[in-house]
Amino acid sequence: MLILRLWNYMRGYVIIKIEGLSLEKFINACVQKGIYLWEIKRINYTTIEAKVGIKGFKVLKRLSRKCGCRVYISEKNGYPFWAHKVKKRKMLLIGAFFSCILLMIASSFIYSISIVGNDKVSKEEIADALNKVGMKAGVNRYFVDIRDIENRLLMELHDLAWVGIELKGVYAKVEVVEKVPIPERVDKDIPCDIIAAKNGVIEKVIARNGDAVVKKGDIVSKGDKLVTGVITRENLPNPLYVHSYGEVYAKTYYEATKSMPTVELKQEPTGEKHKKYMLRIGSMELSIGGGEIPFTTYITEKSIKAPFFWRNKDFPVEIIVEEYLEVNETQVDLNIDEIKKVLHSDSVQELMKEIPAEAEILNSTIDFYQVEDIIYGNMIIEVLEDIAEQKKIDL
Amino acid sequence: MKRTENIKKNIADALELPQDIVLDLPKITMVGNLQLCVENHKGIIEYTNNQIRIYTKLGILRVLGKNLLLKNIVLEEIVIVGEIKQVEFYD
Repeated sequence: MLILRLWNYMRGYVIIKIEGLSLEKFINACVQKGIYLWEIKRINYTTIEAKVGIKGFKVLKRLSRKCGCRVYISEKNGYPFWAHKVKKRKMLLIGAFFSCILLMIASSFIYSISIVGNDKVSKEEIADALNKVGMKAGVNRYFVDIRDIENRLLMELHDLAWVGIELKGVYAKVEVVEKVPIPERVDKDIPCDIIAAKNGVIEKVIARNGDAVVKKGDIVSKGDKLVTGVITRENLPNPLYVHSYGEVYAKTYYEATKSMPTVELKQEPTGEKHKKYMLRIGSMELSIGGGEIPFTTYITEKSIKAPFFWRNKDFPVEIIVEEYLEVNETQVDLNIDEIKKVLHSDSVQELMKEIPAEAEILNSTIDFYQVEDIIYGNMIIEVLEDIAEQKKIDL
Repeated sequence: MKRTENIKKNIADALELPQDIVLDLPKITMVGNLQLCVENHKGIIEYTNNQIRIYTKLGILRVLGKNLLLKNIVLEEIVIVGEIKQVEFYD
């Protein structure tokens, strides 16, 4: 019984050897006195071995003299003896205590900071700002106020909408959300021009206010002025500045080129396998065994065995098992029509992401051409869309 | 003496009291041939690896076996473990 053994361990017991002739009498005497003996073993004609508690042992010693037996301790066991041993080695205890404290202190520092979620604002910029507000590698986590740092970082960097700092042990994860820029809207009273948002060929200009400066068939590039807000008439002494608005429809072109090889390398495993083991400590890799790879063509499968995980952090020691599978390589010609179909659908899919939803598709063409083993597909989609964008006039 | 014993036995039978308590008899429990527990013993007479003799009210209880070990021994109870082959009473 585990609980009984645990109890005995906590109380402490000794394994004794009793030597004498009338050992049964001695056992009976012990029982009469209330000494608890257990696991009594007969060793030879004159000796037995038994376990007895510490208190029982003291009584037993006196008793042994009466019965004419001799008692030896062969082993001391249990917590009290262990505690006594430890007491004698105080420095060990102090060392253990200090190493615990050291570990606690060492783990209260932030060692690495990772920044996620940024797109337009560079990592360096955020790191600099973090540095400025007092969050840097090596700072003690108990001396920084995370909420305060989040707020101050938001004030420091105006392009961020939200900052969240999460501490995971010695590692700080800074999550940021950037502000989505609001499209510039020009107020109704402010004079403005209409410029082209994209390259295209003008199809129709509807200037509800302002003077059109382009006509149908004109080729415009991005940023060109389409409708001006500066109105000059012969009978006007000064030009009139108006808030121009309207729609400018233009044909725009979306282009994408995709390529695909006509032959495919097919790899068929032959069933032959070769394994290689590596031990990775930090960034150092040590080959444990495996030797040379006996195949000329093979594919590699890598699997990593981490000995254990601690607080979601990878332990820096890993065993990498690389498995090499021998393969037979054969070249297979692919159906050209099939390839063209794939290229077409791929291109359409890619271009559809760029084309705004309200645009009207006028035409789409795809040209295929082959260079050696590779087929290229060049797709052009012609679209009719509104390319008007308002821009303030600088007076 | 014999008469009082008989009376006791009759009372125990009539009231369905456990006989080991009323008659002060040893209660012997065995678990297969691995463990033997004797309650209400009167002391140990002989203990070797192959034979253990225990004094009880009915006389001497002899346990024969191999590698016998006294697991524990207290005033009311003896637990013997080992390979038990034979258990017998004799005077």
